[in-house]
Amino acid sequence: MAVEEFSPPRRAGRARPTLWYRSWRVHLAVFVAILAYAYGWRVTQIRMAELWRGAYLIRPFIGALASPDVVTREQHVQRGTALFYYGGERPAAAPGGGPSLALSTVTGAIGDRVTAAGEGFAPNRRGVLWWENQVGQRQQLGSFTTDAQGRFSLTFTAPEVQGTHNLVIAEVLIGEGPLRPSQTLLVVLDRMVETVFLALMGTTMGVVFAVPLSFLGAKNLTASLPAGGAIYGLTRTFFNLMRSIEALVLAIIFTVWVGLGPFAGVLALGVHSIASLGKLYSEAIESIDAGPIEAVTATGASALQVVRYAVVPQIVPQFIAFTIYRWDINVRFSTVIGFVGGGGIGFVLQQYINLLQWRQAATALWMIAIVVAALDYTSAVVRERII
Amino acid sequence: MYGGGTRALSDVSFEVARGEFLIIIGLSGSGKSTLLRCINRLIEPTSGRVVFAGRDVTAAPPQELREIRRKIGMIFQQFNLVRRASVLTNVLTGRLGYLPPPWALANYFPAPLVDRAMANLERVGIPEKAFVRGDALSGGQQQRVGIARALMQEPELILADEPVASLDPATSHSVLRYVEELNKRDGITVLCCLHFLSLARRYGTRILALKAGQIVFDGRPNDINEARFAEIYGEDAIEVEIR
Repeated sequence: MAVEEFSPPRRAGRARPTLWYRSWRVHLAVFVAILAYAYGWRVTQIRMAELWRGAYLIRPFIGALASPDVVTREQHVQRGTALFYYGGERPAAAPGGGPSLALSTVTGAIGDRVTAAGEGFAPNRRGVLWWENQVGQRQQLGSFTTDAQGRFSLTFTAPEVQGTHNLVIAEVLIGEGPLRPSQTLLVVLDRMVETVFLALMGTTMGVVFAVPLSFLGAKNLTASLPAGGAIYGLTRTFFNLMRSIEALVLAIIFTVWVGLGPFAGVLALGVHSIASLGKLYSEAIESIDAGPIEAVTATGASALQVVRYAVVPQIVPQFIAFTIYRWDINVRFSTVIGFVGGGGIGFVLQQYINLLQWRQAATALWMIAIVVAALDYTSAVVRERII
Repeated sequence: MYGGGTRALSDVSFEVARGEFLIIIGLSGSGKSTLLRCINRLIEPTSGRVVFAGRDVTAAPPQELREIRRKIGMIFQQFNLVRRASVLTNVLTGRLGYLPPPWALANYFPAPLVDRAMANLERVGIPEKAFVRGDALSGGQQQRVGIARALMQEPELILADEPVASLDPATSHSVLRYVEELNKRDGITVLCCLHFLSLARRYGTRILALKAGQIVFDGRPNDINEARFAEIYGEDAIEVEIR
């Protein structure tokens, strides 16, 4: 019998396949692709020029990334003060002690020229002259350098402020204390810990519910149950539906339900994790070796015992690996869940960005990057060990 | 003992006396494994009856079925050990049918049982492997763990589904000798599927041959001559000896 390949071509066209650039199918595919991308470009409003035009807005942030607000020094300052009242009232004598500051006049009006003379300061240091109004608001009047005897003299214009009782302050920086973590770093650290634990609680919630459910979502286990097919179908449908709702959407719903804060985030991550883990676990169960199940069943063991002795030992390593992987995803996700009020570091990050506090925002971003990368690495190592 | 009409097996009816070493031979797909699994209902026969020690297995409700299964040990071609569990735990699972569920779920086995498991491991010659993981053993050793597991059930019947098909000839003999010893010394009835006629002749007290789900031979090992052989395995088959 003749083999198909060697039979003579019945149609001339079949013998030689059309060259690809002459095929109308290729032309059509290219045409459709061009249309799709042209429309995509328009509908997503891609305007490359904005990247240049808006660059100046983001430049401070780029700079801040290089100098995040992480450490600060305690500053040792010499201070001399003098009172200056508006409206003719004469202040009582200035409090003595330490370096002294004297004004050419102690009473006057807005716009007066006043000369401040200080002595007893540390020699040859830079200093700043401040004006503090009645409610404690400060503004800088000017800066100065003390001479070899620790004296300086600076003339300023009395500024326009509310209230009449004012204080002129001369401050000279004479030294700095050791480096210590900045306030921002402490806040960010605190929130990062909250974030990691938010992910932990969410993952735990997912595991607690996903483990039992996953047995119901495994075809090989439910097959022997009465109404097993229905149980399997229901469980898998539940997993698929819940998985299709993003955790961020769930978080918004839960903030309405239980209020703003990390608890809403835990619930959102938890529910999403139940579905994701449940599906992964179920598939792990479905891929186990059926032999031990048969063997343990044959000994007269009950269904529960079969699961305990033939199924569980086979799935434990995979379950652990999937759980670590999920926790990993959850940590990453819990950094943004704060954006919708679900607690964690996202909340402060959003605040910093909204207030254009770029250095603080940079601190939060670096913290996220470092912690997430570290957990990423650790989980990869742990998973490798287990499997 | 089994009778009925299914696609894999049809019109198979036979009785096994206590203490027999019955060997079932036949081509792959002739229904040997199905036959064994119908006896303890790992496969539900669509029709027919299986009677074990006076109890109707096919009609038994779940609880009674488990009680029947306790008395029927089974060993498998692929050994079917739980690979990640220790050998000792694997042996102890043979006893699950006797234990109150809460104990067993907590992985608690009373000390006398552990002693017996150790004794059974000693009997199959690998007591030193008790705390090794199941998958760390060689094939022959794994099958011996399978035998020890079946022994934990204190079975009256052992179903052996091609217990040596994955083993080399020397190991095959050593494993079958353990099975033979259970049959001779403890009086456990054995139903064993085998591929090699030479092994069947050496160990069996009776041979049952299946072809396309039907019994084509039932008799003593020595009665299988060349004509019978051709009938069972087909005209073109050549007998392969294994010593």
